[in-house]
Amino acid sequence: MLNLSPQDMQAIWLSAQVATAATLISVPFGFVVAYFLVFVRLPGKALIEGVVNLPLVLPPVVVGYLLLLLFGQSGLMGPVFQSLGIRIIFTLKGAVIASAVVGFPLLVRSIRTGMEDIDERYLQASRTLGARWWDTLLTIILPLSGRAVLAGMTLMFARSLGEFGATIILAGNIPGVTQTIPLAIYEYTNTPGGDRMALSLCLVSIIISFVVLLANESVSRKFRQRATR
Amino acid sequence: MMKKEIVLLLSVLQMFLVAIVPVWAGEVHLSVAASMTDAIKELDAVFMADHPGVTMLPNFGSSGSLAKQVAQGAAADLFVSANPKWMSYLETEGKIARQTVRDLAKNTLVVIGPQRAPLKSLNDLQAMERIALGSPGSVPAGQYAAQAMRAAGVYDRLVESKKLVMAKDVRQALLYADRGEVDGAFVYGTDALLVQKAVILYTVPANLHDPISYPMGLTVEGEKNSAARAFYDFLASPAAIGILEKYGFGTPAAGTAVK
Repeated sequence: MLNLSPQDMQAIWLSAQVATAATLISVPFGFVVAYFLVFVRLPGKALIEGVVNLPLVLPPVVVGYLLLLLFGQSGLMGPVFQSLGIRIIFTLKGAVIASAVVGFPLLVRSIRTGMEDIDERYLQASRTLGARWWDTLLTIILPLSGRAVLAGMTLMFARSLGEFGATIILAGNIPGVTQTIPLAIYEYTNTPGGDRMALSLCLVSIIISFVVLLANESVSRKFRQRATR
Repeated sequence: MMKKEIVLLLSVLQMFLVAIVPVWAGEVHLSVAASMTDAIKELDAVFMADHPGVTMLPNFGSSGSLAKQVAQGAAADLFVSANPKWMSYLETEGKIARQTVRDLAKNTLVVIGPQRAPLKSLNDLQAMERIALGSPGSVPAGQYAAQAMRAAGVYDRLVESKKLVMAKDVRQALLYADRGEVDGAFVYGTDALLVQKAVILYTVPANLHDPISYPMGLTVEGEKNSAARAFYDFLASPAAIGILEKYGFGTPAAGTAVK
């Protein structure tokens, strides 16, 4: 049943690379943004919240197109990147950026939930004991939201594995460079006679997603158990 | 009762009126290769102006993906392919009325890209960083391009060096070149007339690939659709040929025999 060509194996490897890179790169930013949204009192928070959640509600193709307008040769930041010699469009970097942007809201949401669930009394106690904000961050907030961060990471990883719309617009369909699993499946479905190959890759994709979601479930369950202690 | 009879009479009358509505009224579903988008849109407009009551519903895409859609039951009265292979595929699937298949137009293959020194041969492609072409699995322009590159002996090397960007149809390859995201793209000669920023860097010699012809045919449903048949006949008229030539397509000699 599973007959995978070398091109398919490349696609699987690329998907793994892109999902991992996108998740790891986003974690520090996601943590900072979540901390800001939960613990910092500033006007205009609702606006930032809206912008962060935008990729979640926008069609991925729109996200991809907006990123293209930003990073393309004739885009807003085009000349800047050209002078630095960095190419984003049609490269693996583009695929990583597309996945990172699309999955970011999921990560932030998860971390926010974890941070909001931290017992207020711990934070107040640390303040009465004279701890500065970074002390509280490192010794209380970080450890107690750790599992939420992990849960957010697995969710974002799974989302990145399935990312198509933004990826194909920003990174294009280049076998061996940016053709991730969803792009490879798309190409097979467009080719008369490519159904068996498409189904093989679909099976691989389902298995990987299943494993990742099961991991997410077990981590979330452990997190809930901890919080109710 | 008198009222009942009047109602009956009126409904019978209405049925007659519906039956004698002009025979052109109706919808025509077209599945057309992406490279013919602009020509077909104009042909549709001219035809609809002459035949009020007919709605043309074109669906543009790569010939391979269109053929797949029609084979799976998508609504189509007329299929225009950029490659005889996909027409044969649908004939084998029993979706096309064989006797209606004939060549609609001809085309050439060119390489376009951002302004640079023209290519002297396909070997010069190796100096480029990124080359776009329609995915050879489903896009005829990509198949012709791959065929030409193989004939020139550069295809395998370009695939290995991962320089080829697969576009979903020839128009997407065109846009990549026009936006400057790739150094070169394989498109049809007719598409090159539409670019805004890119220029033609090389015209692929016709002996490097199979002749580029656009077979068209009525589907089994289309043959029963009188409006579709009327459009099919219109495409052979001098007016239609004039429009095709305006967009840069070569036309088969007037009066080409039906296969």
